[in-house]
Amino acid sequence: MKVGQLSLDEFHALLIGQGLRVKMGPFNLSVQTRLPLLIRQLHQMYSHYSLAEEDEIVEFHVRVIPKHSIRQPLARLIRFEVDGRSPFPPVPVEQALATLEWGVNLVIAMRINHLLLFHSATVERNGHVLLLPAWPGSGKTTLSAMLMHRGYRLFSDEFGLMAPETGDFFPLPRLMPLKNQSIEIIRHYLPEAVLGPEIPGTLKGTVAHIRPPQASIERADEAAQPRWIVFPKWVAGAALRLESLPQSEAFLLLATNAFNYEVLGEAAFDAVTRLVRGCECRKLVYSDFDSALVALDELTDG
Amino acid sequence: MNSWYSSRFSLLRIESWESEFTVFQPESEKTHFLNEMGLQILVMLDQSPTSLEVLCRKLSEYFTLQPDAQFLRQVAQILQRYEALGLIERVKESE
Repeated sequence: MKVGQLSLDEFHALLIGQGLRVKMGPFNLSVQTRLPLLIRQLHQMYSHYSLAEEDEIVEFHVRVIPKHSIRQPLARLIRFEVDGRSPFPPVPVEQALATLEWGVNLVIAMRINHLLLFHSATVERNGHVLLLPAWPGSGKTTLSAMLMHRGYRLFSDEFGLMAPETGDFFPLPRLMPLKNQSIEIIRHYLPEAVLGPEIPGTLKGTVAHIRPPQASIERADEAAQPRWIVFPKWVAGAALRLESLPQSEAFLLLATNAFNYEVLGEAAFDAVTRLVRGCECRKLVYSDFDSALVALDELTDG
Repeated sequence: MNSWYSSRFSLLRIESWESEFTVFQPESEKTHFLNEMGLQILVMLDQSPTSLEVLCRKLSEYFTLQPDAQFLRQVAQILQRYEALGLIERVKESE
């Protein structure tokens, strides 16, 4: 059953009661909240996700709850909690959706160690995975939003989830936080994209989430093997360059970019070695999305 | 005079990427990135305990270099680094 098949009242009852148990790629997530604003936003933004079955294990239990502050008695603050712990300071209630999404990403990054986690946008085309590893602020969310609306299947704008033993990558299509000028860029380029509310004043400025396409969410249990690794860099005014990258450099960049390379030790060493040896490695410098998309289409056509 | 020895060289996992190498050290679970000279130092120290001066002479022959004081200092720094990482051990002359 999909979230979108629940009425708002049913949805509300789950969130304020036992929790909304929803499938997110290879994980199940339980969310609890009583915040009316967040409940309405989630009903729209999570509509394509499936509910977890009753007998399935839920990996992450999170809550977004009101936080009363003695210092700021009039402020309407909320707190994100995972298993009773709060990794972030309280934020205004208007930032609840952004805080929930960042909180879930943080929990995945901190707790998942049976998979190798790259800090990477990940998409699939022609049956194979294109990995776009990059640091925060490099535009990978915007680029993956462009790609997913141009025929690529979204795996994630944030994580490359790799099984170290098999090399399979797993989809984790979650809401994607566009920031600041990227919001207008996507509204202009992709008028068909479903965006959540603009949330000003976050630590990263104004944020608006883009909902992954239904097809990407519905195929979230279809893993794929990697074939291309492209390190993207947006540089204002730069001419397009898609150049071959030495494999040793790709190894170094991937190992330092992964969240849990050191935790996984030799398994990660073997996995990254196999990954790099089996993929075409490139670096991409671009300022114009259209030309970048053409270059990536050509790369992934074969 | 000190010598150095790569006593656990055989345990290292070494992957070659043309002229560069990734080396996994099981004891520390660390990955090291070495160039050809960096790896060759480990290879030479695996064969027998070697002093800095002899190592520099062997390296300069292998890479066809003219060793000078700066080269000696650079290799000494690499040995210190390798020792700190547990890749090599110092062997006292009296031993």
